[in-house]
Amino acid sequence: MTPLLALALWGWCVIVTVDLVSAPQGLLSRPVVAASVAGLLAGNLAAGLLVGVALELYALDVLPIGAARYPDYGAAAASAAAAAALVPEAPALALAGLIGLPLAILGGWTLHVHRRRSAESIHRRLERVTAGEARAIWELQRNGLIRDAGRGVVLGAIGLSAIVAAGAFPWSAFPRMELVGAATVAGGLAAALGGALRSGGQGARRRWLAVGMATGLLLVLSR
Amino acid sequence: MTARLQAILRLLAVQAAWTYERMTGIGVGHAAAPLLKHHLSSQTREARLAAVARSAEFFNSHPYLAGVAVGAVVRAEKEGVPGGTIIRLRTALSGPLGALGDQLVWAGQVPALIGLSLAAIPWFGGWAVLLAVVVHNVLRLALTAWGLDLGLREGLAVGSALQRSWLPRRADDAQRLAAFAVGLAVPVAAWYLLADVATNSAFAVMAVGGLGAMLALAPQTRAHVTGVRFGLVLVVVSLLVVGGSR
Repeated sequence: MTPLLALALWGWCVIVTVDLVSAPQGLLSRPVVAASVAGLLAGNLAAGLLVGVALELYALDVLPIGAARYPDYGAAAASAAAAAALVPEAPALALAGLIGLPLAILGGWTLHVHRRRSAESIHRRLERVTAGEARAIWELQRNGLIRDAGRGVVLGAIGLSAIVAAGAFPWSAFPRMELVGAATVAGGLAAALGGALRSGGQGARRRWLAVGMATGLLLVLSR
Repeated sequence: MTARLQAILRLLAVQAAWTYERMTGIGVGHAAAPLLKHHLSSQTREARLAAVARSAEFFNSHPYLAGVAVGAVVRAEKEGVPGGTIIRLRTALSGPLGALGDQLVWAGQVPALIGLSLAAIPWFGGWAVLLAVVVHNVLRLALTAWGLDLGLREGLAVGSALQRSWLPRRADDAQRLAAFAVGLAVPVAAWYLLADVATNSAFAVMAVGGLGAMLALAPQTRAHVTGVRFGLVLVVVSLLVVGGSR
């Protein structure tokens, strides 16, 4: 990995981390998007897509509503995808499970910490905010964005370390490592199916879900 | 840059200072500030400061629809509506804007676009992903601008205007499309991913995936079994098997 590529991947991790909640919430933090771009940056879009699709199945189980706590898949997917692109001897789907899932959970925890820090920041400026000082409100927004970007810097650094570790790992000594990839896919299917059935409810939406699944099966069988 | 455009750009970062106590309150105050400055320029400094302070109090809604509240509150402040009424307006808007936005975007537009993208990747590769991102962001910007304009136009009457608008019907449609798209994506994604896994374990992978989905739905286990937890347990177990059989 060249320093320029490392810097680009790190920057992408920061962007996708900030995109999740702070700005602009433009789908960049979705695993399939974060991983595809990381794969493209690392020179192997196909590996990025593979990792992105696997982790996206997990993310389909998440409804990011209000104060809900959920994993942050952005930097996790980007790091796992870059590792898959840069370490071709490692099974890509195993890297999705080994790097992507733990880093996503860590990312979710850092989001909670970030929100607590934002609350402390508001408490420090409470008098100015309640007095209607627009500058204090602007400072809170700016600091929130900077803090969230800092979260991306930390997650990106951990992700880059994981990529380096994946490059140094003796994959050939573990010929059955594909089993980890299979386990990652099985977990993803469980998450996507469970999430779809739960949010499908009982009425028309569940019927649409069934129609979609039947269409998907037909598409696959016709290949 | 006009005050409206500034407000739209600031609404893109409405959750930057999100907290469990004020939720999007600070972000809403930040987005409302340029509009308040523009529309309340003829009022006293005290009145302007009070309006800014009110705009940054607790507020909870879907981030893409926060503009509805920003617009309505700015219009009400401009018309000199009493502060207590404006606070009640914000409180009354919180629930509907949150529920409608969650249905339209988080349970509708996003899973619909992601599901269609996942289903299209085996045929169109990265283009399917790019298209989903572009469509989402065009719709997101349009929704943000529409919401702000609706609020600015309707003021205190924004609640009934929202009910009469296209939003409730489209929220239902979006959820149905999302259900179809996710249903479509699951078998296609499984087939796409399993091509990378040894053929003899494909049925085992699908069976374990089905078992995990049942555990995530069963009343006895659903509180503890989430997709990511189930996946992590599988990864750890498979690592033990891989390590043991080395």
